[in-house]
Amino acid sequence: MVGSLIRALRRREQPIVLAIAGAAIVVLAILPIALVLVGVDLGGLSALASVRTWTLLGRTLAIALAVVLVTLAIGVPLGVLLGRTDVPLRRVLWLVHAFPMFLPPFLPALGWFHLFGSQGLIGSSGTAGVLFGDLGFVLVLGVTFAPIVTSLTALGVMGVDASLEESARIVARPWRVSSRILVPAAAPAVALSAIVVFALALSEIGVAMFLRVDLYSAAVFARLGGVDFAPGEALALALPLVPITLALLAAERRFAARRSFAVLGLRAARDPLPLRRWRVPATLACVAATVISIAPLVALAVRYGGAPGVAEWASDAPWNGLLASAVAATIITMLGLIIGHASARRLPGATLLDSACMLAFVMPAAILGVGVMKLWNSPDTQLVYGTLAIVVIGFVARYVVVGVRVVACAVAQSSVHLEEAAAASGARFGRRLVRIVLPVHARGIAFAWLLALVFCLRDIETVILFYPPGSEPLTVRIFTLEANGPPAVVAGLCLVHVAITAAMITLGALVVRRRR
Amino acid sequence: MGHSPPRTNAKGLAAMMRTLSLVAGALIAIAACKSSSNEVVVYTSVDQVFSEPVFRAFERESGVRVRAVFDTEETKSTGVLNRLIAEADRPQADVFWSGDPVRPFLLIKRNLVEPYISPNASGLAEGLRAADGTWTGFAARARVLLVNKNKVGKEDLPKSIRDLANPRWKGQTTIANPLFGTTTMHVAALFAAWGDDATKHFMTDLKANDVRIASSNGEVKRLVVAGEVAFGLTDIDDANEAIKDGAPVEVVYPDQDGLGTLVMPTTVVLMRGGPHTANGKKLVDHLLSADVERQMAESAAHMPLRADVPTPATVRRVGDIRAMKTDYAKVADEIERIQPWLRAWSGL
Repeated sequence: MVGSLIRALRRREQPIVLAIAGAAIVVLAILPIALVLVGVDLGGLSALASVRTWTLLGRTLAIALAVVLVTLAIGVPLGVLLGRTDVPLRRVLWLVHAFPMFLPPFLPALGWFHLFGSQGLIGSSGTAGVLFGDLGFVLVLGVTFAPIVTSLTALGVMGVDASLEESARIVARPWRVSSRILVPAAAPAVALSAIVVFALALSEIGVAMFLRVDLYSAAVFARLGGVDFAPGEALALALPLVPITLALLAAERRFAARRSFAVLGLRAARDPLPLRRWRVPATLACVAATVISIAPLVALAVRYGGAPGVAEWASDAPWNGLLASAVAATIITMLGLIIGHASARRLPGATLLDSACMLAFVMPAAILGVGVMKLWNSPDTQLVYGTLAIVVIGFVARYVVVGVRVVACAVAQSSVHLEEAAAASGARFGRRLVRIVLPVHARGIAFAWLLALVFCLRDIETVILFYPPGSEPLTVRIFTLEANGPPAVVAGLCLVHVAITAAMITLGALVVRRRR
Repeated sequence: MGHSPPRTNAKGLAAMMRTLSLVAGALIAIAACKSSSNEVVVYTSVDQVFSEPVFRAFERESGVRVRAVFDTEETKSTGVLNRLIAEADRPQADVFWSGDPVRPFLLIKRNLVEPYISPNASGLAEGLRAADGTWTGFAARARVLLVNKNKVGKEDLPKSIRDLANPRWKGQTTIANPLFGTTTMHVAALFAAWGDDATKHFMTDLKANDVRIASSNGEVKRLVVAGEVAFGLTDIDDANEAIKDGAPVEVVYPDQDGLGTLVMPTTVVLMRGGPHTANGKKLVDHLLSADVERQMAESAAHMPLRADVPTPATVRRVGDIRAMKTDYAKVADEIERIQPWLRAWSGL
């Protein structure tokens, strides 16, 4: 009897494992949001009847769209140049240009302030006037997020079928090949990057507050950060973001799903497109874009100037952030392996779980944060709530979609035949996962871990509501010290964060390369 | 070309995943074991740059580890307050050190405060602490006008907060977002002092005068120091930072011939049901010591409420200025009442 039950369970190993992973997603990510939803203040819905609410939403959408346009204007041509042409040192330029996208946006914003604030290195009242306003916000976020477009475009054009490109090169010049073949073929990647940038710009709070720009996300936050603490009302106010989120999800599915990460290394090597007489100006353009990307970090370094006291003010915060992020990235990768694999193989329920993960990502972080507090601050869970474990939970809840999507895209690029053959030979799901999926997609899985780690490292908005006393991550410490701490020390702390992120990316890149 | 056989590779990866699982478990366990009993948890809206050295000194003296939650500048005084309220069913904090005297009333109203009369409170001013020990004020701040001397001549110095709405300074003044921080309290205090009509009129005039809404009082300081505006309303500790940096600024204590300057003692309360109440009382005693008042006067220009605490030359005593007569409990009521109006005024 027991034996037959075990055999029956083993036959259904994959659905059971998927169900366990799904239960984890429900507990970690969905339940907190549901708890806040239960407390929705119906009176708060009256805020939706206000013209001001919709005006602010319209204005926010327009600003987010402007950020997208700036990133596309910079990122698409740069992505083609760095991905497929013979610009010298293009890999190095790409790496340096892309780096700021792995940082919390308020770090580059602080750097721009040290550059263009009225007392900045090259600032004046005129530059400060531009910086502190809608235009400054659009430009700062545009430059900070442009590497997302650059990178996905570059990866997209690198993944274009070589035969298509080579046929075109016989009859057309590089410019025409780029505009008529490469960019259209890479459109899904470009579309995905635009969607990601739009979502990030829509939810940005730190930079908006710093540069004094009114955004809808700030209105939601005001219900949580103001005197009249009203998470239910905040959620009511966040309701208009739900159809926008769903629209983004639909757009992502329509334009980018399963094709977005041509990233993970199944590309054929081929010669770069020769730019000939355009090589020098194109190189200069790439260098200029790269310099602009890292200019705020250089400004932070100048502002720091070797000031003493950074280690004292940093305290345990760098370690807290790194520890929590590493653990969270590991859990995210494990969940991503199960759900992402199921999503790529279109198993029942996988799409629903994938959407649940995406919902937790795009939901205003403050609402998820309040839900996490409601769920975990109970007498039975103090070992979780009062320690770094709650930060890990917050990270996993918010960023599990990163692991799911990266693994899904990696698995989707490979044939299912190996797994089917193994299954036909009697290998159960666990065995197939360990013996086939893991080795075949080791690079993609390592990349998922690295990306999840970086997302966790750059987080502020999720954990700022519930980080354990005395155990804040470095980003939170920078944020709480930013306004009144010694500017040189704050700049130094920013550089510590930059160094940690750079070290992790380098380490991850080395691991990924080794697994090639 | 050196490819490992798939089986070996798979074994290696399986081992890697097992290791990662163990590491994850171990790290969580390490994190979970980090807390100890000889500690105290304090939430504070006093600037981290000033409060953290006070906590470190307490740790050295008492051997009790301080675990702190600090506010961000933008949500000053309300971020941690909201967290205290959200955690009310299972309090995590032992002590709340508030940057103003009003927020504690919001906790007292919700029955979240444990009355405690510290032996060190006896030397403090009578009117700035509760007789029942629910809250105790010390180390006060004033709300001042910070003026850029390059933009405003000596003879044109503003004298009142009403000058913020003076058309002469149109587009040349700034205040922090009144939805957050001490500016909320200041507006509420005006509602309590002037009444609804006069205060709403004043706030509307501010808007008509293109007053710039900064994200924080620290930002107000930045705008004034940079000369982007002529003057702004901020806290004395922010103003003092500008002076220490050698910025061309002057501090004006407003309304000395009228309403008076708003004075806000920082306030400490013991939280009801906190996990380390005994250590919480020790920390409260420490915060209310003369030494901390001296430290806050020197580092952050807070005005001591004890007569025997020496102050730097740049720090004035409460008795030396005309202070606005303020019923903090009433202001606390006003703060909650005016929120919808303030949100509408702020466009949020």
